[in-house]
Amino acid sequence: MGFDLAFALSSVPTILGAIGMTLSVALVSCIGAAAIGFLFDVVRRVGGFVGLTISFVIDFIRSTPLLAWLYFLYFVLPFYGIRLGSLTVGVMGLSLYYSGYLAEVFKAGIDAIPKGQSEAARALSLSRRDAVIYVIAPQMLRNIAAPLGNYFVSILKATPYLAVLAVPEMLGRAFDIASETYRYTEPLVVAGLIFLALALVISHGVKRLERRLLAVGAR
Amino acid sequence: MPMSLFEIWLGILQGLGTTLAVTAYGLVFAVPFALVFGVAQYLTRGVARLLVTGVIEFWRSSAVIILLFVFYYALPVVGVTLSALTVSAMVLGLNAGGYASQAVRAGLQALPAGQKEAGAALGLSRPAILLLIELPQALIAMSPTFVNTLIQLLKATALVSLVTLTDMTFRAKEIAQVEYNPVAIYTALLLAFFVVCYPIALAGRWLEARVAAPGSRSSGI
Repeated sequence: MGFDLAFALSSVPTILGAIGMTLSVALVSCIGAAAIGFLFDVVRRVGGFVGLTISFVIDFIRSTPLLAWLYFLYFVLPFYGIRLGSLTVGVMGLSLYYSGYLAEVFKAGIDAIPKGQSEAARALSLSRRDAVIYVIAPQMLRNIAAPLGNYFVSILKATPYLAVLAVPEMLGRAFDIASETYRYTEPLVVAGLIFLALALVISHGVKRLERRLLAVGAR
Repeated sequence: MPMSLFEIWLGILQGLGTTLAVTAYGLVFAVPFALVFGVAQYLTRGVARLLVTGVIEFWRSSAVIILLFVFYYALPVVGVTLSALTVSAMVLGLNAGGYASQAVRAGLQALPAGQKEAGAALGLSRPAILLLIELPQALIAMSPTFVNTLIQLLKATALVSLVTLTDMTFRAKEIAQVEYNPVAIYTALLLAFFVVCYPIALAGRWLEARVAAPGSRSSGI
């Protein structure tokens, strides 16, 4: 029993068939994580007791494994009568877990904007709202674009965790083939290579984006 | 009779030994990999650098959960039988090592060229410059990043519960089979990881503050 290339190739269409699921789970989770992370950072800036609490929540999330969060949500929510599909729970878990990291991305992205920018906006008598929309937000977006892209890759690589909740993404499909044929190596290698290729291609794109944004910033 | 909260907590902590063992054993793979491949990526050019980068990217850019399953199921097929502990430590360790190697390389690249040139002016050989001048500075500067990678490794060990090792996550699942109290069990699991990882994160922050200081002092002089 070695590596059966023909069998490996025959498993490609089935596994690749779930690539849409994998990418949309990653995209929705990334948006969810960014939304929660942004909220965390904004509330943290309020300071005081609320700010400290949010800082602690972020630290707690960052000190605990994704797998434990997935189990927590999957088994605890039904205990309180909240019945959600495994896909929803999976996306919630990924969003929550990565929100702790994205809060730091937003923090760095906002802190990196020189204070002179908002002062200049005020000197030009822009309203607070206009200053945020036309001066602060565009610069923040430029600062966070590359780290956000890198976290999208991290989230993408974490989507196979959802196979433990039986979400039909690519690793789940690979295990389906494995349990039908009793051959684990080939489908798992195929799934692994597809993820590796996706991660490398998207990382490369993020790097190019980063270089362009740096060039724009330096002008 | 239902288990008390204390018994659940103790039950999960029975897996702490395995969690820590996989982490420590993983470091045995991660540290040499990060040093050797980080330095190699820094020093090599052309084809050699492509090969080094290829190995690093394989371990760093793959989805670690799939790597773990691939090696767990595929190694016996090609005639290599390793224990689940060794396979887990190797996969998780080399994945963490891949991340850390980038910190090693970036730390070396960030040093001013004058450091290397000063070493050469003093008549030191290239290996001596690397070992005595470049690496110590790079490793100290990047130490907060290494602490973060250690925390990532510790958290990733939760995956070993999927390949039959009885770590804290495995214990939580076991307890959940005999005891219907998911709130207590999974809260305890999260808390157990928090108790282990948070002090390390705090130590990393302390280190970060310390590491930032000498650099600013030297530039002041």
